Amino acid sequence: MELPFKAITYAQADDAVLRTLGTPRTLFWLFVLLAAGGTGFGAFCWGYQIATGMGVAGINHPVVWGTYLINFVFWVGIAHSGTLISAILYLLKARWRNPLARAAEAMTVFAVAIAGLFPLIHLGRVWIVYWILPYPNQRDLWPNFQSPLVFDVVAISTYFTVSSLFWYTGLLPDLATVRDRATGIRKKIYGIFSLGWTGDHLQWTHHGWGYLLLAALATPLVISVHSVVSWDFALSVVPGWHSTIFAPYFVAGAIHSGLAMVLILLIPLRLIYKLEEILTMRIFERVAQTIVFTGLIMGYSYATEFFIAWYSGNVAEWDIFLWRATGPYAFWFWLMTAFNSVAPLGFFFKTLRTRLIPLLVIAVLIQIGMWYERFVIILSSPAHEFDPYSWGRYFGPTWVEYGILIGSFSMFFLLFLLFAKFLPSVSMSELKEEIPAPGRSRGEGGP
Amino acid sequence: MSNQKHGLIGIFQSLDTTLSSLRRLRDSGLRVEKVYSPARTEEITTLMESKPSPVRYFTLAGGITGILFGYGLASFAALKWGFIVWGKPPVVFVPYVIVSFEFCILFAVFATLLGIAIHTRLPRFRLPVEYDPRFSRDHYGVVVHCEEEEKGRIREMLLQAGAAEVKEIRPE
Repeated sequence: MELPFKAITYAQADDAVLRTLGTPRTLFWLFVLLAAGGTGFGAFCWGYQIATGMGVAGINHPVVWGTYLINFVFWVGIAHSGTLISAILYLLKARWRNPLARAAEAMTVFAVAIAGLFPLIHLGRVWIVYWILPYPNQRDLWPNFQSPLVFDVVAISTYFTVSSLFWYTGLLPDLATVRDRATGIRKKIYGIFSLGWTGDHLQWTHHGWGYLLLAALATPLVISVHSVVSWDFALSVVPGWHSTIFAPYFVAGAIHSGLAMVLILLIPLRLIYKLEEILTMRIFERVAQTIVFTGLIMGYSYATEFFIAWYSGNVAEWDIFLWRATGPYAFWFWLMTAFNSVAPLGFFFKTLRTRLIPLLVIAVLIQIGMWYERFVIILSSPAHEFDPYSWGRYFGPTWVEYGILIGSFSMFFLLFLLFAKFLPSVSMSELKEEIPAPGRSRGEGGP
Repeated sequence: MSNQKHGLIGIFQSLDTTLSSLRRLRDSGLRVEKVYSPARTEEITTLMESKPSPVRYFTLAGGITGILFGYGLASFAALKWGFIVWGKPPVVFVPYVIVSFEFCILFAVFATLLGIAIHTRLPRFRLPVEYDPRFSRDHYGVVVHCEEEEKGRIREMLLQAGAAEVKEIRPE
């Protein structure tokens, strides 16, 4: 089978990846400064909200879940593709996975960490967050493990822990490679984090088995986590939320947005660090083809939701769907439909999926579409429940909510920039499993 | 006292010469202690007759413990809280499947990592004396522990198989 990346030597693979850890250009530090500034502004907005009260956010009866919950679902969604690419494609032995996997895993870890902040931000009184944890207390109060919100705490914290450990386990051999090339204090630091890895055959055997098992464990976890997030909504009786399609629909949406984010992160990485030999156009093409597939699932899900709402004969259910498409949120509804299920169809054309600018543009459109999909789902249902006397609108986003949104994106890009600077953003050891071993040419077997 | 032994390490520039040396050493009845390689290589694993890793038993044990812990925690919390709704029993099955599943994965992952750490003997604070930084780049290393009088024969064998250099391993 033809390799999805160029046949380079082991040494060239190391050199290409290790180049990303060298002294960066001034432009890099400008981006870091910008991202740090945005993160600082987000932190200021959160601090202002804590000091002033939740009134500074646009949430109020009847829409009490505003942009914070939108952001939460959005970032959990972004977190999904990392593990999808890394774990599921690893189990399927998809060769185009290897150059992408490390950056996608990093994306997962950062996105899920940011997602985890939003329930805290939404909580208002963040200092009592520990109440949700099961700990012995004198009043014998315990969390209710039948609640989807408690499912969420367990699922998200498990996902964050497992993704981080999966990422670190994969990083070990590469940290040893960096250690062996570094000098001075860097050698010591990478030496500590590589845990004394040497790459002897027993280490490779046990590491390989362990990594395979971690991938097998992470795969159902990915599916479960966004299903659990969808049950925050689906286990209620609110029209537009109470639906069995929510779990697969949310999982597909998460993969859709996550794949688009992979393109947004890796295209600049390829350009800045000149990784054309590793992050080839064929790999981006594979991602684009997968996006077409997830985009079709999204379009099908939107249509199915409407059909079932009509076919059920449930007046409240059908009314909310009509209201979404024709009411005050109609613009956002049609925007999400166009950006999530129509724009990705552009990747049916080879000319669009093999050029960086169209790839990037469609990926950004998908991000916008997916954010507004959560906007429409989360805001419209409580705004238009069963009884007209309780109908209302969301009053945000206010400047504080926008500030926190900007802060979350800035923090995400800041963490990714620092990751690309200090850690190998492409897995050298996995790349070496695919390229010809030293002394062999492509496709040549042993003696 | 150091538990490292005397021996030789052959450093190879290609996979094929490494495999060839492993075959020669095996055919001569010599035991290869370790093979260093820059990446996981199926052919080396096969020649070294590595058994399937016992890490998988750690995973299984961790997963079962997680299921029991998750279900136990949810049941314990429900019984301590004792909040009866519509006369239904406080301990239920279906919702706790989710909690049990998440803990199953979490504990299985912890146990897998423990298994990897035990079997790979990591973390290790000092690298073995024979380790060469080139092994993480594009070289291979074949380690044979032997007595002083055997060194000449083994050195010759490694060089004939295509070793770029052969070094003596002397414990520090």
